[in-house]
Amino acid sequence: MHLTREFSDRKSLIHALRDLQEMGVTPKDLDIFSTEPLELPQSALARPSHMSLAVVTGAISFGLCVIGFVYYAQHSYPIITGGMPIFSFWATGVVFYELTMLGSILMSLLWFLKESGLFKSKPPAPSYSDGSICLRVECSQEQEPSIRKLLEAHSK
Amino acid sequence: MATATATTVSPYNEVRSDLWRPLSGASPRYLAILAGLAAIVLWGAFAWSYQLLHGIGVAGIRRPVFWGFYLIDFVFWIGISHAGTLISAILRLTDAGWRKPVTRAAEAITVFALMIGGMFPIIHLGRAWLFYWLFPYPNSRLLWPNFRSPLVWDVTAISTYLTGSAIYLFLPLIPDVAQLAKHATGWRRFVYRKLSLGWTGSDREWNALEHAMKLMACIILAVAVSVHTVVAWDFSMSVAPMWHSTIFGPYFVVGAIFSGIAALLIAMAIIRRAMHLEKYLTPHHFNNLSKLLLLMSLLWLYFTVSENLTAWYGNEPKEMNVFGAQLRGSFAPYFWAMVFCNFVVPFILLGIKKLRTIKTAIIASITVLIGMWLERFLIIIPTLSFGRLSSTWGNYAPSWVEISITVATFAAMIALYLIFAKLFPIIAVWEFEQE
Repeated sequence: MHLTREFSDRKSLIHALRDLQEMGVTPKDLDIFSTEPLELPQSALARPSHMSLAVVTGAISFGLCVIGFVYYAQHSYPIITGGMPIFSFWATGVVFYELTMLGSILMSLLWFLKESGLFKSKPPAPSYSDGSICLRVECSQEQEPSIRKLLEAHSK
Repeated sequence: MATATATTVSPYNEVRSDLWRPLSGASPRYLAILAGLAAIVLWGAFAWSYQLLHGIGVAGIRRPVFWGFYLIDFVFWIGISHAGTLISAILRLTDAGWRKPVTRAAEAITVFALMIGGMFPIIHLGRAWLFYWLFPYPNSRLLWPNFRSPLVWDVTAISTYLTGSAIYLFLPLIPDVAQLAKHATGWRRFVYRKLSLGWTGSDREWNALEHAMKLMACIILAVAVSVHTVVAWDFSMSVAPMWHSTIFGPYFVVGAIFSGIAALLIAMAIIRRAMHLEKYLTPHHFNNLSKLLLLMSLLWLYFTVSENLTAWYGNEPKEMNVFGAQLRGSFAPYFWAMVFCNFVVPFILLGIKKLRTIKTAIIASITVLIGMWLERFLIIIPTLSFGRLSSTWGNYAPSWVEISITVATFAAMIALYLIFAKLFPIIAVWEFEQE
C-alpha cells in the first residue's frame, strides 16, 4: 500500500526521510514528487547512478563496432591500392571518434530512460499542489499506522 | 548597459504564467510574419525543384569554382549551430546562474541551424536523391565508401552532432511539457502528453535527468569542437593555396562560436521584445553575452592576422595570388568589409562600456553575422578562383537559384524558431523555479 504526504519545505522532508529510513523503510520504497529538482543530501536519500559507467561502456562498444564495420567495409571491395594499406587507421580515426561519441550520446539517452523509469509500469503519481513536495511511501499493512503518524508529525 | 544583478525571481505561478503566456493563441501579426516566411521558403523550394529538374548547371558553380553559395551556406549554418549547444554546455558545466533563461533559446538555434546546414551538401550534390550514397555501408552497389575523405567525416560528424543536440534540447524539455500536458487542452494536450514520456516529477526522474544533462554537456562539448574542426578539414586536407593550414581547425571553431553568439543575441532580443520577457531576459544577460562576443571578436582577429601574416611572410607564389586578390584585388572590398563587420563594429560598440546597450549588441551581432558569412565566402571562392595553374583561373557569380535557396534558408530558420517558441516555453520554467 502507498501513503502520501505533502511537505511545504525541504527541511521537514529531510527529517521525515531520515526517520523513515531509521524505521526500516528502504530508499526503494520512497518516491518524492516535485515540479522542480530537489537537491537532497546523500544521507537523506541515496540514489546511486551508474550512468557514467554505462556511457563509457557504450562509447567503447560502439567505437569498437565502428572500427570493425569500417574494416569490413574497406576489405569487402577488391580495390587496387598500389601497395598502400587498404585499411588506414588514422584516416578512419575521425569516423571512429565521431561514432564513439554517438555511442555515448545514445547510451546517455537509454540510461536516462532506464534510471528514470519513465517507461516502466508504476502506480499513478499522486496529485499535489504546485510548488509543494509530495512524499510517497510504499509500506506493509503492519507498518502503516507508525508511518502515517511519522508523516503527520513531520508535515505539520 | 546597466550591469544589473541576476533576475529577481518571481513566485512559482507568476514565473509559469509569464513563460507560458506566449504559447497561447497566435496574433494576426505573428501569422502574417509566418505566412511571409513560408512564402520565401516556398520560393526557395521552387528554386531547388528547378535545379533538380534542370540539373546542377542552373547554379553558378563552374570550373574552377565548383564550390559556391551552397558550401558557403553549409559552413555558415554549421557555425551558427555552435551557438546553442556549446554555449549552453559551457554555462551548464560551469554552473553559471545567468544561463537559465538563455540555454533553451540557444539549444533550439543549434538544432534548427544544423538541420538547415546539413541540407546544403545534399543540395550541392545536384542529384539529391542519391544522397544515401554518402552513408558508408558495404559495397553492394560496387561503390567505394572512402573513409579517408573528409566529406565522409562530415556526414558522421554532423549526424552525431544533430542527434546529440536534439537529445540535449529534448531532455530538459520533458519536465516542462509534462507540466504543460496537465494544463493544456485539445491537440496540444495530446502532443505534450506524448512528449512528456509519462514524466511524473519523481526524484528518480529528476536525478536521472540531472546526471544525463551533466554527461551530455561534456559529450556535446567534445562533439561540437570536433564538428567544426572536421568542416575545416574539408578545406585544409587539400593542398590548395590558403587552405592547407594547420590552424584552420581552431580558426573555424572560434569563428563558429563567434557567429553562434551573435545569432543567439539576435534571437534573444527578438524573443524578449515579441514575447514581453523583459523580466527574464535582462540587460545582465545581454551584457554578459556582449562581453563574450567581444572576446570572440578579438580571438577571431588574432586567428585572421595569424593566418594571413604567415601566408604573406612565406611569400609562396601560389598563395600570394590568392592573398593579393583578397587584400588588394577583386575580393578586397569583401575582405575589408569582413574586417569592419567582425572587428571594428563589435570592438567600438561593445568595447566601450558606455556604448554597450541591448541595441548596440544587436547591431554588432547583425554585422558579425554578415562578416562571418563574408569570411566563409572569402575562404572558399578566392582559393578556387586562383588555383595553382593560372590557365585554370576563373570567376564565380551565383545564379538566382543559389540566391533564392540561401535567402529561403534564413526564412526557414526564423520560421522554425517562431513555431518552436509558440509550441514550447523558450525559457525552461523548471530551471527558473529551481532558484
